[in-house]
Amino acid sequence: MKILVPVKRVVDPYAKVKPLPDGSGLDVAGVKFDVNPFDEIAVEEAVRMKERDPSVSVTVVSIGSGDCEEQLRKALAIGADEALLVETTDEMDSTVVAAELEAVVRQVGPDLVLMGKQATDDDCNQAGQMLAARLGWPQATFACKIETAQGSVRVTRETDNGEETLDVPLPAVVTTDLRLNEPRYIALPGIIKARSKPLSRQPRATTAAPKTRTIRLEPPPSRPPGRRVGSVDELVAALRERGAL
Amino acid sequence: MSIQTQETGCSFLSKTPDRVFSPEEFAKDEQLMIDQALQFSRKEVVPLAERIDAQEDGLMPGLIRKAGEIGFCGIDSPADHGGLGLGKNLAARILEFLSLNASFSVTYGVTSGIAQLGLSLFGTEAQRAEYLPRLASGEWIGAYALSEPNSGSDALSMSARAERQGDKWVLNGTKMWISNAKWAEFFLVMAKIDGQDVSAFLVERSFPGVSVSREEHKLGLKGSSTARLVLENAEVPLENLLYEPGKGHHVAFNALNIGRFKLAAMSLGPAREAIWEATQYAMDRKQFGRSISDFGLIRQKLADMVAHYFAVEAALYRTGANIDAAFAAHGGTVDGNRAAAEEFAVECSAVKILATEAEARIVDEALQLYGGYGFTEEFPLARIYRDCRVSRIYEGTNEINRVFLADRLKRRADAGRASLVASGDSFASELAGKAMAKFGSDQVTVGALSDLLLLTYAEQSARLRAQQVGGVAQLAYERFTNWANIQAAMAYQTVTGEPVALPSSRPGHVDELADAILATRSPI
Repeated sequence: MKILVPVKRVVDPYAKVKPLPDGSGLDVAGVKFDVNPFDEIAVEEAVRMKERDPSVSVTVVSIGSGDCEEQLRKALAIGADEALLVETTDEMDSTVVAAELEAVVRQVGPDLVLMGKQATDDDCNQAGQMLAARLGWPQATFACKIETAQGSVRVTRETDNGEETLDVPLPAVVTTDLRLNEPRYIALPGIIKARSKPLSRQPRATTAAPKTRTIRLEPPPSRPPGRRVGSVDELVAALRERGAL
Repeated sequence: MSIQTQETGCSFLSKTPDRVFSPEEFAKDEQLMIDQALQFSRKEVVPLAERIDAQEDGLMPGLIRKAGEIGFCGIDSPADHGGLGLGKNLAARILEFLSLNASFSVTYGVTSGIAQLGLSLFGTEAQRAEYLPRLASGEWIGAYALSEPNSGSDALSMSARAERQGDKWVLNGTKMWISNAKWAEFFLVMAKIDGQDVSAFLVERSFPGVSVSREEHKLGLKGSSTARLVLENAEVPLENLLYEPGKGHHVAFNALNIGRFKLAAMSLGPAREAIWEATQYAMDRKQFGRSISDFGLIRQKLADMVAHYFAVEAALYRTGANIDAAFAAHGGTVDGNRAAAEEFAVECSAVKILATEAEARIVDEALQLYGGYGFTEEFPLARIYRDCRVSRIYEGTNEINRVFLADRLKRRADAGRASLVASGDSFASELAGKAMAKFGSDQVTVGALSDLLLLTYAEQSARLRAQQVGGVAQLAYERFTNWANIQAAMAYQTVTGEPVALPSSRPGHVDELADAILATRSPI
């Protein structure tokens, strides 16, 4: 089985970032970047499948600037076999990403696309669904458990009403949730090995243009300080006072 | 990491390099390794601090094995015997981040460092193949046994003896303060053949006549094992003599040179952790309706922490890059390894003193910032404070290192291998140059000269790093220099008896530096 894992380079989710003074974007000077944590979970899951079944191969792909090599190498260090970088500095939204990924899928020919349910930078939660629609493939989102069978995967997904289990025929798109696994510490020999694993670069394959554009970024208004109350009665009174009850 | 350096041992005094390696320059995938070390420390080690201190059965050996699975235990050993051969500088950076908990740090530092170093540098192929893979994987814990009850700083006065009896060595004596003794399967032991020639032996715990006494009750580092290694007619195979008979001091002292460099990295880890904890506390703790991180004297402490950390880190990783370059140029053969390990001995002593004293200052101020809570076991600073006290004592007390430092530089100069003409491009350098002319033999003078030299080294390292990095780094450098200049003036007066006017101080930059450290809870 061939698994394709899209990996997005995002600002370190724990970094404190500020918008640029003109609001045109984020001030990322000196800020660390990392693999989108949901995508790292997808890489981890794919590598575990490969460890269980040596016939599985894992390809990772990023779409973005040359700097994405750092994140692809990390995915290779975790255990992916090869990496593909669609190199571009174009502005993108989920529709563009889905269009580009569709082209990559047609090129690589995976049985399964395993990707984060969303990226921690814009939290869109769209690319996986859009990709499945473009490919006409079945999809299972928010996976918290994935079991492989002959020609299909059984995906347990988290919904607001509890867990739902789907049998999904391959090829398919599956997006990963937080509880699917806990990514391993990356063994240092793996990091060294990743230096010599294949990473190929290619330009964009489509001319898709974004359907959304960023007008301005501004920090959320600062929250007024809270007030400590001594008892439930006081709390209820305070809530009434503000018209919340 | 590509190593490009023109420095030789002690050249910092007479010649300022154009640039120095700074920790920002580790390659992306090296940063990924460092990040794994940080994650491992934060998730696997720090939360267990209390259980580690209680020496819970099997806990520490389990952590070492876990670290070994990730590859941490072999980072500094050659790649042909289960190690990764990462180079000393990257290994030190990883060590810094694995040192957030000092008890784990010592255990790990000894087994991955001085327990393996002698084998790496001086071992035969067979000796390396026998022991390195087990140590590099974390399967075995290693220890290093030099000190004795009556032989501490004066290490070569040891009384442990080795006699050849037929096809084996028979060792007798007691080794004291042996870190990891409780858990170690392997000991690098120094003993005198026939009571004369200091030699190094590879001793397994299971050899007949080898035993370990009870644990010492220590002020801190309660989670690390410190005990005596007792050798009573201990039987050691002939082939377990390391290097040559009578050349054990090369093994011992080279292990110490590199060991001092590593201890500097190990000392920064707890300081980093103290900063991580204390900054959060400063933001959370409200008094007079405000976070205490808003108050001037608290912010001043935070600014000093950044400044000292920045400067010491600059000196440390500059030294490490130079050591790596020396190994690249000379290493490979046993004699070449020896020369490489000795080349930057003065700088190793300098960073040992600088880092352990910066650690003490940072941890002390971090505890102070908690007020009364800092004095309780409810908060982590009490443990960090106890644990860090020993840094200034072991791997050569800071006093021994001060005696060694200036003296060693003078000897190198006398041998034509260094210049005593200072570049004079900083206040400390200028004073160091003038003071070296008054080199005396008494310890107080030598100690003050050493202070001038290590301040010169730190100031220069911080200056070059700040030039390369820019931004808030420049402010940290300036704040450090204000402090270093005062120290240099005092040391100069000690040597010469003459007063000296201080240069005007740079702006304090307290607010910018405090904001920088509060933003990330980490040094810049």
